[in-house]
Amino acid sequence: MTRIFAALAALTVIVSSQLVTTQTASAHERRTVGPYQFVVGFLNEPAFAGSLNGVDLTVTDTRTSPPKNVEGVEKTLTVEVFAGGLSTSFKPPLTARFGQPGKYAAYFEPTRPGSYRFTFKGKVESQDVSETFESGPGRFNDAEDPALVQYPAKVPEAAALADKLDAIDRDLGSLRAIALAALALAIVLPLGLGVMRRRA
Amino acid sequence: MVAGALVGTGAAAAHANYVKSNPAADARLVRAPSEVRISFSEPPEPRSSEIQVLDATGKARIDKGDTSASEEPNGLRVSLKAVGDGGYVVAWAATSSVDGHQTRGSFAFAVGSADLPNVLDVGDPAPPPRPLEDAGRTLSFAGIALLIGGSVFGLFVRRAPTRAQDSREQVLLATGGVFLVLGSLALLLNLGGGSPPRLTAFLTARGLAGVAILAVAAALSEARLRQAALVAGLVAAFTATLVSHAAASGEVVQVAIDLVHAIAASTWSGGVAALLMVVLPFGRSFDSRDLGGLVGRFSALAVGAIAVLALTGVVQALERLVLLEDLWETPYGIAIFAKVLLLGAALVLAAFNLLRWGPHLRRAVEPEAAMRGLRRGARGEVVAIVGIFLATGLLTAFVPPAQTSGAAYDQTRHAGGLRLELLAASTTPGQNRFVLRVHDRLVPVTDAQKVAFRFTLIEHDMGENELVAQQRAPGEYVATGNVTSMFGTWRIQTIVRVPERPDITTTFTVPIGAAAAGPGAVARVVSAPPYTLVVYVDPPQPVAGAPVTLNVVLVDAKGDPVPNKTLTAALTGPSSQMVTLREISVGRYDGAIAALEAGKWTAAISVGSEAKGDYAFDVAR
Repeated sequence: MTRIFAALAALTVIVSSQLVTTQTASAHERRTVGPYQFVVGFLNEPAFAGSLNGVDLTVTDTRTSPPKNVEGVEKTLTVEVFAGGLSTSFKPPLTARFGQPGKYAAYFEPTRPGSYRFTFKGKVESQDVSETFESGPGRFNDAEDPALVQYPAKVPEAAALADKLDAIDRDLGSLRAIALAALALAIVLPLGLGVMRRRA
Repeated sequence: MVAGALVGTGAAAAHANYVKSNPAADARLVRAPSEVRISFSEPPEPRSSEIQVLDATGKARIDKGDTSASEEPNGLRVSLKAVGDGGYVVAWAATSSVDGHQTRGSFAFAVGSADLPNVLDVGDPAPPPRPLEDAGRTLSFAGIALLIGGSVFGLFVRRAPTRAQDSREQVLLATGGVFLVLGSLALLLNLGGGSPPRLTAFLTARGLAGVAILAVAAALSEARLRQAALVAGLVAAFTATLVSHAAASGEVVQVAIDLVHAIAASTWSGGVAALLMVVLPFGRSFDSRDLGGLVGRFSALAVGAIAVLALTGVVQALERLVLLEDLWETPYGIAIFAKVLLLGAALVLAAFNLLRWGPHLRRAVEPEAAMRGLRRGARGEVVAIVGIFLATGLLTAFVPPAQTSGAAYDQTRHAGGLRLELLAASTTPGQNRFVLRVHDRLVPVTDAQKVAFRFTLIEHDMGENELVAQQRAPGEYVATGNVTSMFGTWRIQTIVRVPERPDITTTFTVPIGAAAAGPGAVARVVSAPPYTLVVYVDPPQPVAGAPVTLNVVLVDAKGDPVPNKTLTAALTGPSSQMVTLREISVGRYDGAIAALEAGKWTAAISVGSEAKGDYAFDVAR
């Protein structure tokens, strides 16, 4: 009897964990690519700017029932990460996740909140792949502003700090130019006045 | 008098802007219309306005070229030739009958299953003023200033005048009359044959005020001439106000403020001109103390006039500017900014005259040097004032940033260096058209890779929905959809993706109100205990033979959307049919209907076997 209860408890844990997994995957986008299904999103959701995260990819072969996890994709597929309208991308290496066949991760840290695009290029087995997944409603979540969950002090994100430092640097440059001009004027003006007085 | 002069202008903005049309912009019609009607924010002059309707290529005209006023307020119409299915483009140009300013625009509609064509690039929607117009306005303002300021100076500031000074004053006032005549002529010439009658009448009246002063300048005594010049100047100022942005607003208070602004500006600037032209050339004939007293009296008058000028100017700027950034990002704002800078420069010179040269003269300390300084300062002031008149000439011709758009919601934000104006056609639940105007300073942003709207209802969880917009005109991105389906406060996040920059996002809060959904609104609240249904059809005016979508938002007693229910609708009317609705997001359901006959229909909506409610709607022929 105890064994039956233990077995039922184990079954409950397994089913619950499956439910949790399914819920997490609901913030991922599913797309059929040839005979394969891609499930794509952030590795840790909700994703926050300034925290280590990554591209989460699951590839299954839909020709079998149940769908078979596809392994070895990290050798034939690359992923590029784009933020906003920036044409320069980031290419984190795609790696197979230990002990989770068919699941891959490409670690990176989103440094700005907002929408991200993951572009996969290469092959899955013999299937050519060139697919872009973009975060957004009905797809997978954007990277959020960490200020939403920070307590008690709000820590500015690194990108915002970098912008502010750039602005300070620009202002310092302007101040330096003004100071040099003032210095030059302070030297030239008395000299000029002296010359004029001497001529007078 | 003010109210009377405003009759016919209606509630309006400064230019005749597109408010609505039939067919609407981007409308999809089952049959070709027989005419196109457009309503504007202020009355257009039909003789110098035109609507052209062209085929999808933008080359062949399908209108009959009979643009005329329609019976709707501020409306124009044009008849169309018989045409079939296809995409059509409407290009319009309107001349405001209030101030003669021109506006133009373009929109498209499609008949049948044809694609919506691209709208035509008709150029600047509000062309900048031509040099002749700017010259006309500048001369007119200078004329008004010389008449009002010159006469006030003579009446209240100058005491014990000499014959030579009176002669100079006569020339000054006559010059004001000449400026009025020339300015009015330039403005009439600029408008050409299509000048709106109301505007022509006011410009003619202004010119005649100048003619009258020229006619009596030599005949009247000095005192009478000053009085006549003051009356002529006030009449001219009133005519200027009645064809201004203030008059176009249709608000008597705005007209009064504008008139006071013009009189204050004229009193100060014309007074400075009188000081320079009439008094200072004879400075040596003055006793230094008398001249110091005159400068003191004029300074007191000028300080009062400038205070009124600044106050009324700020009130007007607040009325017509939307954002602080407008001051350097819009032509209108730049003109105001330039005016403020020039006014500041003039004030510095005036303060120098008041605080340094005036006391010097009154105390007879170095009177010769003080006289020279006063003359230099007054000349500098006149130069700044001429600059102010030029800026004002442009100001009155440029489009103010605060414009009547006809949209139910119109707000502007500044984000990431971009100016983002969101317009929503309606604030009732149901299909809506969202327009985002994107400008980088003065330039429309035409290279956005993506513009999207994300919708979240604040009060209840209905999930987040996205609409991706298409560029329909330079810098104008449009998306249409049913996302604001529920009464409440919607947060709309706009996302603009431009090359080589992170996404630029900002958030607007749009109330989708129950009050707005009164009679005539498509969305209806249907009671189906224990639930409440918010029901509407898409398109809002269904047409026989065309597809219709029945939309339902299911909410519980607490007002929260209810997901995971089975909804069906039994349609009864000229015939009957069953529709099964699907859940498209949390608590939102829709059902596609291929076609309906014309007539009155009732949808009996069932929520499983729990609840039932009826929604009635009409289908047009």
